[in-house]
Amino acid sequence: MNSFFSKIMMTALCLWALEASASSHREAPLIANDPLADNTDVYAFVSPDDPSMVTIIANFIPTELPHGGPNYNTFGENIRYEIHIDNNAAVPGDEVTYRFTFTRMNEDPSTFFNIRLGLRNIRAMYTCERSMDGGNTWTTIVSNGEVPPPNIGPRSIESAVGLGTTYEDLIADAIMSASTGETIYAGPADDPFFVDLGGVFDLGNLPRQNGQPRDGLGEYNVHSIVIKVPINTLLKVGAPVNPTSILDSDYVIGVWASASRQAIRTLGAPGQPSSNSGGWIQVSRLGMPLTNEVVIPIGWKDYWNSLTPYDELADTNLDKFFYNPELALYMDDDQFGGAVPAFAPLRIQRNSLGMFDFGNGQDGLYALKGSAAVAGTALDDAVFGTLLLPGPGMPRSVDLWPAFHTGVPNVIPYQLATGKNGNPLAAGKPFVNNFLPNGGDMLRLNMAVPPTPRNDPSFSTLGLVQAAVLGLTDPAYNGNADLEFIPNMDGFPNGRRLEDDVTRIELQAVSGIVLAAIGLWYDDYVPGQSPVTQDLLDVLTYETGVGKNDKDFKTDFPYVATPWRGTETDEN
Amino acid sequence: MKNFKQYMLTYLLLVTGIAAFASSHREAPLIADDPLADNVDLYAFRSPHTPNSIIIIATFNPLQLPHGGPNYYQFGEDIRYEIHIDNNAAKPGDEIIYRWTFKTKNEDPSTFFNIRLGKRNLRNTYTLEKSTNGGQSFVKIMINGDVPPPYIGERSIESPVGLGTPYEKFFNRAVRRTNTGENVFVGPVDDPFFVDLGGIFDLGDAPRQNGDPRDGLACMNVSAVALEIPIFKLTKPGTPSNPNPNNILDDRFIIGVWASASRRQIRTLSAGDESHSGDWVQVSRLGMPLTNEAVIPIGFKDYWNAITPYDELTDTTLDPFFYNPELALYMDDSQFGGAVPAFAPLRIQRNSLGMFDFGNGQDGLFALKGSAAVAGTALDDAVFGTLLLPGPGMPRSVDLWPIFHTGVPNVRPYQLATGKNGDPLAAGKPFVNNFLPNGGDMLRLNMAVPATPRNDPKFSSLGLIQAAVLGLTDPAYNTSTAVQFIPNMDGFPNGRRLEDDVTRIELQAVAGVALAAIGLWYDDYVAGQSPVTQDLLDVLSYTTGVEQNDAAFSTKFPFLAMPWPGDGECGGVIAQNAQSPHTNLQGVGIAAPVALGQNFMMGNAPNPFKNQTTLYYEMSEPGKLNISVFDMSGRMVSNLMDGEVEKGQYSVEFNGSDLVPGVYFAKATNGKGQVLEVLKMIRTE
Repeated sequence: MNSFFSKIMMTALCLWALEASASSHREAPLIANDPLADNTDVYAFVSPDDPSMVTIIANFIPTELPHGGPNYNTFGENIRYEIHIDNNAAVPGDEVTYRFTFTRMNEDPSTFFNIRLGLRNIRAMYTCERSMDGGNTWTTIVSNGEVPPPNIGPRSIESAVGLGTTYEDLIADAIMSASTGETIYAGPADDPFFVDLGGVFDLGNLPRQNGQPRDGLGEYNVHSIVIKVPINTLLKVGAPVNPTSILDSDYVIGVWASASRQAIRTLGAPGQPSSNSGGWIQVSRLGMPLTNEVVIPIGWKDYWNSLTPYDELADTNLDKFFYNPELALYMDDDQFGGAVPAFAPLRIQRNSLGMFDFGNGQDGLYALKGSAAVAGTALDDAVFGTLLLPGPGMPRSVDLWPAFHTGVPNVIPYQLATGKNGNPLAAGKPFVNNFLPNGGDMLRLNMAVPPTPRNDPSFSTLGLVQAAVLGLTDPAYNGNADLEFIPNMDGFPNGRRLEDDVTRIELQAVSGIVLAAIGLWYDDYVPGQSPVTQDLLDVLTYETGVGKNDKDFKTDFPYVATPWRGTETDEN
Repeated sequence: MKNFKQYMLTYLLLVTGIAAFASSHREAPLIADDPLADNVDLYAFRSPHTPNSIIIIATFNPLQLPHGGPNYYQFGEDIRYEIHIDNNAAKPGDEIIYRWTFKTKNEDPSTFFNIRLGKRNLRNTYTLEKSTNGGQSFVKIMINGDVPPPYIGERSIESPVGLGTPYEKFFNRAVRRTNTGENVFVGPVDDPFFVDLGGIFDLGDAPRQNGDPRDGLACMNVSAVALEIPIFKLTKPGTPSNPNPNNILDDRFIIGVWASASRRQIRTLSAGDESHSGDWVQVSRLGMPLTNEAVIPIGFKDYWNAITPYDELTDTTLDPFFYNPELALYMDDSQFGGAVPAFAPLRIQRNSLGMFDFGNGQDGLFALKGSAAVAGTALDDAVFGTLLLPGPGMPRSVDLWPIFHTGVPNVRPYQLATGKNGDPLAAGKPFVNNFLPNGGDMLRLNMAVPATPRNDPKFSSLGLIQAAVLGLTDPAYNTSTAVQFIPNMDGFPNGRRLEDDVTRIELQAVAGVALAAIGLWYDDYVAGQSPVTQDLLDVLSYTTGVEQNDAAFSTKFPFLAMPWPGDGECGGVIAQNAQSPHTNLQGVGIAAPVALGQNFMMGNAPNPFKNQTTLYYEMSEPGKLNISVFDMSGRMVSNLMDGEVEKGQYSVEFNGSDLVPGVYFAKATNGKGQVLEVLKMIRTE
């Protein structure tokens, strides 16, 4: 399948320019024990306060305790922290790569305190380099970049015996302007992710069936790298200066982040630092949230971390976890549905339109392969090859697989059911185009889609799912099948905003919500009746119990919230 | 000075047989980034449950979130976790070493859950080896030791889709007996340490001057290895095999305990894997609590972790941090005392007995060197050499340095002021002897001292300090200089009990409380008046605000509290519930509006059915109701109900014997045509 797969992807690309779902804290066995290099989340969104810029955030070092002294967390030396951007599926590899490397310094080695009398220990500084040629050559765009100290407490930060400043000033001082137009912040931040870790990993107890939901990442910090980049820096070569539409294919980027270490670490003599040598080995990566936490099973997690998305073109080990995802077993009464009561509202289409079974091991839309019904659609071998209907027994090859591997094209059947008159394979209302068939797991964002203001009453943490709901049901949008901006079209999985409730969205996606959006209704749909059936409502109204972050995000750069202070946590 | 120091220690040992202080979470830069090998705490105490046994507990891998899934926390492979015991200062190195090594296995690699359907991923098992010849050879004393799973939550542990077993059972089953007579426990536990991390590391703000104190380790778990060892297996060589101590301070019963973690020198990464090779290198160690957190400054922390206590014999770079400790700067108004308001009650003797200045850089007792006054005492060069009075400008060489380096002998002046009649150098009441001058930082325990029952009204988390207070002030103990058991003589720094408030004790020690106990009173002492002055009371009553652990300890081995479960109150902060996004569900495309009935329930049985099935429904308020059955193409095949219905429960039969087998829908609507519920019913052949 390897080179064949690769070829199919290229074919798909030539003819056109798909959707699905998935954060990663301590998600794989090896990296869980190397927190410094553990990539926890990636975000990419058009800046709400400056639509000519895209903001990309990569977070590292999970579950930092705000009061974790005396040696509070900071970025590690001898690690390459990288953000990768792809905008051209025809050229293998990254078009733009940002690399951050850090040094640490003790300004006063005579104290055990981290901060004392204006001096800082374990003070991190960074160099940011940029490559515009797939990593062949690098240009330094920030040197001596400032990283704010840990937000230890009022004595260390504000008082005269500490730094005698404010933490907001320290953050402001750490906002760097690159020589090439980017604005950059690297430093501690409140972990913007929110999830009931204790519930979900107790065999899927989400929302908790007993007790109050808890944000398992509430009151923890991470280290964020935030870059705000002019859209024209990220544009594909040859793309129009202004997008031809809000779904312009030339405006799609794929974003992923990684951390790498050198192959050989040799511990030093007492008191001497370790030495590092050998080639650089990628030890952590992240594109779509939760991929390596809840899609990839434990036996493959370390392997997944070592690959690039481009390697996934040739990989054949991982696709099956998307074709038949483990989570789907817990949303299917013929499988283990009964064993996970919290997922009871989430049931997959086993008999959509009386014909299509998307249960694990079933055929999904495979029966349509080669039929006249799919001619000219994305499911036509002549259009996208066997990419979307690779074979029987792979029901989620049409929704989950592309959402994680290619993005979703604005092509039949990947349009809203609005205007389809009951036929999911007819043309409907466009709602997404982040198709970039360049490999595997990335966060794919169409930068042409305008940002939804965060104070817009229609703004929703349900992201693209809410855009679909509005496009299907809101009279402002569902009276025609024209392409128009629907609020939250700029939301996950079209990129990812800080606010997006990706856990909920991904669970809904596993439960078939994308299939429903394009007209493959739930089993309780009665032809001629409203497709907004109980099953659909159950999925749409499903909530994890933790629907937003524990801190408000900033309205301007760096958007992430100020890190929790060591003296203000643990109130419970 | 190196060889000289070693010589002096050996000499000292020959002549005879002091008290002082030290947890370590993320305490040094390198190890903070290698949590698996990070040694957190060490405890050693005489068992209050089985009095002829000693309990030794070492904890690793700090700050574990109970809800830290999906991979939770384990002991690492390719790491040597060790507990070292020394009982003979005449012989260099360890007398006994216990070494744990771990394997990790996935029983079901096909799931992302840690536990599912009776199977456990990242399951740890261990081998325990023991050396009684300084590490030259090891004997396996347990193989396939089982480590309890992480306490993920009720579904993963208790429920039938998980392991179907109460967690307590895993915890209890993890106590095993070795083939050499020790009991051993290995597994996750509540972190027994307690400290206001957020306060103290904000430039010493303990107790917090604004806001309530908070236990920074509350609700966190840690990985523990614990041993219960019969005392006779630990006594100094040459001691009879079933010994009775000569007295409760018998120096044959002193052990020094430390723990460490080591890794191979070279780690080689490859795609998705790593391998280890080369010599073993110690990356973390722990003896006295807080040494490497609050005594050793950042520039030396990594170095401290890499050496052994025995290496400290020849080391000269670390002693200055004990002679003139950084913390003392914050307890001295002529230094930075004014900069740390929380430490205001802690003030060091700058003019004890009108003569002695223990401020950093001052001479302490050095003026007495060689004088008749110290003849025959531990300060006499003829007795202990220059160990305790190495020179001027090292005031804490007489208290903090020995507490961390040699233990405290039952020798003048290291006896309580009781009976000294105002002369600190006179003989007083014995209260400690854990002198084992074999090197550096260890937890030193005299095993001859009986255990204070934990329910004794005099049991105190102040440990040996409370024993000193009782010996000085309690009429039951302060009327003679006889050796006598005083409650809490078995407490830190004579070993360390789980309950001991070592942060408070060590801060008090830095403030000179050990000096006061032996008669070097605080500056406000007036000769002939009570030595229990305001300054002394201020130090004694000083508290960090966090005095006990957040979970109750067990009364039997391993004494540790079970780990916090991930699905309980320690599994994250209560969520701020977000409003559900507004979903305007009027209908799809240009279709009719649909609404939901909240006051209606319907079901049918059997389903699938052959000829007939019964529909059951419940109206929670009266109203119009229509129930009709449709086929797959939306054609109505039967109307079962159409009219007003009272509140109540009903049933209606549906006969489908004349219908072709397939899927049918029963739809209930109200008087406004809103769909209340749709049932899918399947007719079979």
